[in-house]
Amino acid sequence: MFVAFFESVKYVGHLLPISFLRIFLGYYYLESAMQKYRGDFLTRPRIADQIAEWLPASHAPNWFKIFASSQMIPNWQTVAFIILGLEFAVAISYLIGYVVRPVALLGVLLCVTMLFVSGPGSEDLYKTFLAIHLILAWVGAGRCLGFDYYFFKRRRGLWW
Amino acid sequence: MKHFILFVAVIFSGLFFAVLHKTEQGAVTNSLPTLRVFGYASFTGRWGPGPLLKEHFEKTCNCKVEFIEGSDSGILLQRLKIEGESLGADVLVGLDQFDISKALADHTWRKLSLNNLDVYDSVKPALNNSFFVPYDWGVLTFVTRRDELKKTPKSLDDLLDPEFAKKIALQDPRTSSPGMQFLYWILRSKGEEEGFAYLEKLMAQVHSFSPTWSTAYGLFTNKQAKMAYSYVTSPLYHEIEEKKKDYVALSFNEALPVQFEFVGIPDLCRNCTLGEKFVNLMLSPEGQKIIMEKNYMFPVMKGVMEGTAFAPLMNVRTLNEVEIMPSAEVDRLLRRWTEIRRGELN
Repeated sequence: MFVAFFESVKYVGHLLPISFLRIFLGYYYLESAMQKYRGDFLTRPRIADQIAEWLPASHAPNWFKIFASSQMIPNWQTVAFIILGLEFAVAISYLIGYVVRPVALLGVLLCVTMLFVSGPGSEDLYKTFLAIHLILAWVGAGRCLGFDYYFFKRRRGLWW
Repeated sequence: MKHFILFVAVIFSGLFFAVLHKTEQGAVTNSLPTLRVFGYASFTGRWGPGPLLKEHFEKTCNCKVEFIEGSDSGILLQRLKIEGESLGADVLVGLDQFDISKALADHTWRKLSLNNLDVYDSVKPALNNSFFVPYDWGVLTFVTRRDELKKTPKSLDDLLDPEFAKKIALQDPRTSSPGMQFLYWILRSKGEEEGFAYLEKLMAQVHSFSPTWSTAYGLFTNKQAKMAYSYVTSPLYHEIEEKKKDYVALSFNEALPVQFEFVGIPDLCRNCTLGEKFVNLMLSPEGQKIIMEKNYMFPVMKGVMEGTAFAPLMNVRTLNEVEIMPSAEVDRLLRRWTEIRRGELN
């Protein structure tokens, strides 16, 4: 498996630049998740405050606004746990290049949600991340410098 | 698919056990007294002065500082009222002059010893009660981007020019302190009846009334609005933090309103002495410097701002006295504002 990890550079070397982008994004998510884990993201209603503050000005569809105010704000602890879990999942998957395609779709989901509940200051960032997640899912960025190559070589299919 | 589900399950289970372990560990090691500071998000957030003050304070107090966050001062008071003792707030940070009478009416507060504070003359009127002490102040005006507007408004009446239609980002005075300051500014400058008549006309010019200052200012920085009601120090923030020099605070013929931010210690505090020490830190030269540089507000104590980029900004014509309005009066004015707003929406 480890041989395949490095061997991938030889066979799918054209994906190498995008793998660096994947690893960079993974590192970014790991930092963000660690900061949340060490801080009080899970113990204080930061996410509920953020949703309450930005939702009125959000471009989100009405059904999302209703869902956010009726379900996400009261259950902020669950929401915070899911967000943190997803950030860790994206981070680890991108760093080691494992199940990158489906995890990138989770990343898209995470970005869309954060885009809807964040202020205009971070709108551009989430839009850019959204595009990057889509591209990583599209090209299967885990196949180069990642464990996905090992499974891709043996099983093929859309998941790798 | 199997790999993916397993991967996500492992991550979430790992996180679950890590959180569980952290909580247990936290409960065991939590033997130091904890000072709970209740404040608004931009004070307690990592970009605000809170974390630096906490770091400074924890070096000497043999205690832990914990922040409890509310999105603005109105919500802080509401939470204090609803959650009361269970909230465990030892210090409340971020009330302005319109919140004080409400705070005094709804809660009991500890007296603060405020002898011989060497404050600026413009701050002295804000020291007229013994329960709250101002820790910073700011002057409010409109902020715009240089060369983006063909005309620059020089008076309140200029804001009614069709040039500015739907370009002004304001705050809702019912939920936002700067929004209330704007309402007060209009009424003080024009008188109550004429002021409300003016506001009726101004409604058509406004892009939106946001629930908080940060939302309104976000609309402006995002270029959805051409100007926003903010602080004279806002352009300095862009200059220092973002190296952008194209933001400018407008001067008006009318004297500008001043907002003071106060700190107080509720009577239901648990670590009251630590609370007093924290207030003293906020008023010390180090504390004032942190607050000035992180909050982008003027310090109240002399000798901190001199020689910095903040000092020249203080020289604007402001409303002279600090009026602590009774909460019934604030409510009455807000009801009148709401009627106008409702009329506009219908």
